Amino acid sequence: MSRLYVLDVPENISVANVAGQSDGVQVDKLGPYFVIEHNGPIVIDRRATGCRHAVWYSCVAGLADGRIVQWDKDALRVDPR
Amino acid sequence: MNDLSGRHLARGVDHAAFPTFNPVGTVRFYRDVLGFPVVHSICAAGWGPDDHPDFIHFFFDIGNDDRIAFFYYFGLPRPSSEGKGDAYARFGDSTPDWFVRSRHLAIHVDSGDALMEYRRRLDHSEWPVEMQVQHETIESIYTHDPNGYLVEVTRALRPVTPQEDLDANLTIDALVDIAQREGHTMDDLLTRKAELIVERAPSWEVRV
Repeated sequence: MSRLYVLDVPENISVANVAGQSDGVQVDKLGPYFVIEHNGPIVIDRRATGCRHAVWYSCVAGLADGRIVQWDKDALRVDPR
Repeated sequence: MNDLSGRHLARGVDHAAFPTFNPVGTVRFYRDVLGFPVVHSICAAGWGPDDHPDFIHFFFDIGNDDRIAFFYYFGLPRPSSEGKGDAYARFGDSTPDWFVRSRHLAIHVDSGDALMEYRRRLDHSEWPVEMQVQHETIESIYTHDPNGYLVEVTRALRPVTPQEDLDANLTIDALVDIAQREGHTMDDLLTRKAELIVERAPSWEVRV
């Protein structure tokens, strides 16, 4: 189960929302963080989030049991570790 | 132990000091172009060791009672201007630009109008704005002063939130932990941060 933590600030809300639209991806809150969980890969489409590069490349606060295998202008992808 | 123990007592930047070999340009840039008042200067005929040249130490008000200061040393030969960098330090061509630019002074303004006023002043001078950056949280303009020092003027597009301060502290705690390991990476940092989030979450259930 990969777990991605994203800080709940206005610019990051769309990141959590887009992540949660994928089948099987669960989005919860822990303190001030969104917790995005999935048994398989978590893939977030950058354009769907509307994030520009400064926010996009700083939106991940923490990572458990997963590995970032893509983080570019197209997408962020976390695979189970 | 006294009643000051453990308190955050600092009150901003008294002054940040830089050498200059171009006092004329420095005064034009900071006083005449940017409009930062001269607030203090020291004319010192020698100082300390015998080989110390006479110098002028002069200060500009950068707002909030904070100051940027310069040393001009009479007769001190200007160092080589070859390579990247500024009047204080030079780097070879193999040093990446992002590293050279990493050391800079950022001056805060409260509004977009104030930022654009400084842009207007700079653009009418010998030191026009080289870059203007805006993203979701900040907007900044950048130029190099006559000494080659990178100067930024910046404004926040929204206030920093308490949760960002909390997150910053987790980042730094995680960084201190992992930076002591050989070969540490961003992956190590994010993994350690996730551990700290879980460890500290029980204390947030009430406060956040």
